[in-house]
Amino acid sequence: MNNLTRMTRLEIVVPARDAPAIRELISSAGATGYTSVSGVSGIGHHGQHSGSLLFNEYDTLTMLITVLPEGKAGELIDAVRELLNTSSGVMFVADTYVSRPEYFQ
Amino acid sequence: MSLVLRAQVAAASHDIVPSWPLDSFIAVNPLAGAESQPFDFAADRGVALARPTADYVTDFHQGRIPVEALEQALVARVPALAQTVSVGRTELPACTIAALDMIKHPDATAAPEAADDIRLDSYLSTWVAAYLNPDPLWAMPHREHGFYGAWRRLGVVDPALSRFVRRRIAAAPEGPDAALEAAVSAVAASELREFLRGQLAPLPGWVAHIKWRAEKVGDIDLTSYLAVRLTLAIALGSVLARPAPTPAVGVDTTWERAAHIAGSLTEDGTRPEDVAVVARVLAEHPAAEHPLTWQAAYEGAYQADLMEILRSTPEPTDRPDVQVVMCIDPRSEGLRRHLERYRGVETLGFAGFFGVPIRFSRYAAQGAINALPALIAPRHRVTEHPLDAESATRTVASSRMRGALAHALHAADSATTSPFALAETAGWFSGALTALRTLAPSAHARLERALSPRPGDLATRLTMEESFTLQERATMAATGLRMMGMTRLAPLVMLTGHGSHSTNNLYQSALDCGACGGNPGGANARAAAALFNDSDVRAALVGMGLGIPDDTVFVAAEHDTVRDVVTILDRHGIPDSHLHRMREFDELQAEAGARLVAERARALPGGRSRRQVTNARKRADDWAEVYPELGLAGNAAMIIGPRELTRGVDLARRVFLHSYRTELDSDGSGLETIMTAPLIVAQWINHQYYFSTLNPHTLGAGTKTIHNAIGTLGVLAGHRGDLRRGLPWQSVGFGAQLLHEPMRLTVVIEAPLERIGRIISGNQVLRNLLDNEWITITARNDIHHPWHRYTRYGWAPATTLTVRQKKETPQ
Repeated sequence: MNNLTRMTRLEIVVPARDAPAIRELISSAGATGYTSVSGVSGIGHHGQHSGSLLFNEYDTLTMLITVLPEGKAGELIDAVRELLNTSSGVMFVADTYVSRPEYFQ
Repeated sequence: MSLVLRAQVAAASHDIVPSWPLDSFIAVNPLAGAESQPFDFAADRGVALARPTADYVTDFHQGRIPVEALEQALVARVPALAQTVSVGRTELPACTIAALDMIKHPDATAAPEAADDIRLDSYLSTWVAAYLNPDPLWAMPHREHGFYGAWRRLGVVDPALSRFVRRRIAAAPEGPDAALEAAVSAVAASELREFLRGQLAPLPGWVAHIKWRAEKVGDIDLTSYLAVRLTLAIALGSVLARPAPTPAVGVDTTWERAAHIAGSLTEDGTRPEDVAVVARVLAEHPAAEHPLTWQAAYEGAYQADLMEILRSTPEPTDRPDVQVVMCIDPRSEGLRRHLERYRGVETLGFAGFFGVPIRFSRYAAQGAINALPALIAPRHRVTEHPLDAESATRTVASSRMRGALAHALHAADSATTSPFALAETAGWFSGALTALRTLAPSAHARLERALSPRPGDLATRLTMEESFTLQERATMAATGLRMMGMTRLAPLVMLTGHGSHSTNNLYQSALDCGACGGNPGGANARAAAALFNDSDVRAALVGMGLGIPDDTVFVAAEHDTVRDVVTILDRHGIPDSHLHRMREFDELQAEAGARLVAERARALPGGRSRRQVTNARKRADDWAEVYPELGLAGNAAMIIGPRELTRGVDLARRVFLHSYRTELDSDGSGLETIMTAPLIVAQWINHQYYFSTLNPHTLGAGTKTIHNAIGTLGVLAGHRGDLRRGLPWQSVGFGAQLLHEPMRLTVVIEAPLERIGRIISGNQVLRNLLDNEWITITARNDIHHPWHRYTRYGWAPATTLTVRQKKETPQ
């Protein structure tokens, strides 16, 4: 597809206080980076989440997005799934395409 | 190593709350990781959630817990106990029988504790301390290899271990991940998480600090900690499986208790069918439930008293002469109450950082403080700019000279041989100073102050304009005005932060302002005053419909909670037109402070004396004093609403007070901010005191008298062992007596119920706290509506506690 390279994208939404553990797994999996969006809002299994709060970043939800080669993604997916077995959060996994694959190797 | 194992470590440590270093001590709920579970879950983990039941029975007989509160708590916890039953010829509510059971059969079983591997823990804590302690004179070799790598390289030559153990360590894998994987290879996958949780349970202080450090510093993590622990345990041949705590068991069986109660209810002998009726009631409320029911009744009695004394006076309309905005900290309640005795004085409550979150550093100083709640990250650096360059140069030169002298003395004192020479040359002088400090602490403090100019003596302005855009400053000011519920502004508005001055106190920051990251609140008060006095900000506020009168001046101040003295900050910025008001306020705050000290002194251990005001204030300078003040001991409730609810009411310095007026908060965003920030901080503080009181040796720091500081990381009891977390016993108790009454936070709000419900529905942290009974909320729309209690099924009318005549009380 237009000389793009296929990668795997993970989007993980967790309480902000659980985000450090996810970031550590992402780094340990060999991902070269991630994007963090704090104060995300929505409705899910545990009810409504109002989004960003003026003076509390600790009790909001954070979305972490990372892209990595398919070969590295499997283990990270298993690890995140293991972590989410006993704590709240969701993970979305999708194929994605990048123009500069060397950034993600 | 499998990444899944790292995930298992993260999952096993999920409920562990990171522990901040001592220099930025902030109160946290030590069980915050479990707030998504019902409050009573922790009983299964060996945590005491309530006092021994015998203590509650004593409270009951002393009238502290009325029987009605006990029955109400029983029905709330077990609705089936509301029905009526017949015992002999008597018909009575089942809750009365259950109450009799609780009163007659106090179950004195203590919280169970699991046995720890003392040798392993002792050895491990020594190595963790050596690795983390930033000792400038000796850095741990091989530290660059991380905790596991450094320990493995040194462990193989450690003479404290046998040759056999050292050989086993040498054979362990090189990296922490591989070592942990090898160590748990014999553990079944389905049991791995619980196994790891068990291995993280001993040394909870170090484990909590490592979790903080992994997130904030990154030189150690729980994977490497577990790798060392398990490698060492295997090398030592320790038993790795940790025995589960044994559940507490009641003394008597249900049938025996039922027979006893049935006998007391019937006059013509105990029939088996009566015993059976009573036994069925008791089975609804087993002995294991008694402690938490007692606790609920204990809290219910306090809540009933609190709701009884709240007022419904109309809002005053006259413009006050002075408005004093103070932190929501319960200690402010005392000073507010005494200040309001003066005509023309109005007080308000607001989070002590005044809505201005900053990272603050003094002029030309090294280091900075996070003057903001721990719930948010610092984004704006603010410092000072001197108004007089010449005096600034002199002050800095003098400070550097004193700093160099102190450094030289410390270096000479800490080296191997120089202390002998130091003692020979300067010992006599140091000895005299020590004698003065011990025998006349106030004189020593005066001398010290005379020789060392205070940082505030230099006239400066804060760099607010350089640190925030005009839009940011105007938004902060508007938010502050709305959240403070200020309908009108006095000519003089005192923004009064608070700090605690004490000497030789490792827990100093636990007594400072929690909303300011465990720092004194003066910097935030100055920043906020600068904001509100800024003419550009005022012009922007007019555009938002929030005009500040031209004659209103904001002045920053700081309340010293040991001496109860208010220090005016940035006096140079007060215009001449307001100096006379300032002088008047100075006089009345001095009188109010003296009255408050006298009130507080009666509660201080050893505080009752003829010169109680002087003696209470002396505690600030006494380096042997372990009770400089009682901090937030006694905190039990938070009231969010207009001052009319509480003006003139003595709340005994037990209540967090946050001002709020519905009419100034059209979209409810102000209330949402209060409920998701100040309320959360208050709840953290409340639970810190709660669990430190009930678990002084595991979730509290134990007695201060044997504490040794380990760098700025924390304290050890003695010279080794676990890092202590939580509050020291001197914050919550005196001898065997409790100074703090452990009660879960009662939140009272005056605001539309629909608005409060919407905020709770939208925030999981609030849903967790309320649905799982970590806190309660009682609210009413306004003074024309009755109080309602929030339940997981919606709002329910708040029941009042009508105390029956004494003769009806079961004995």
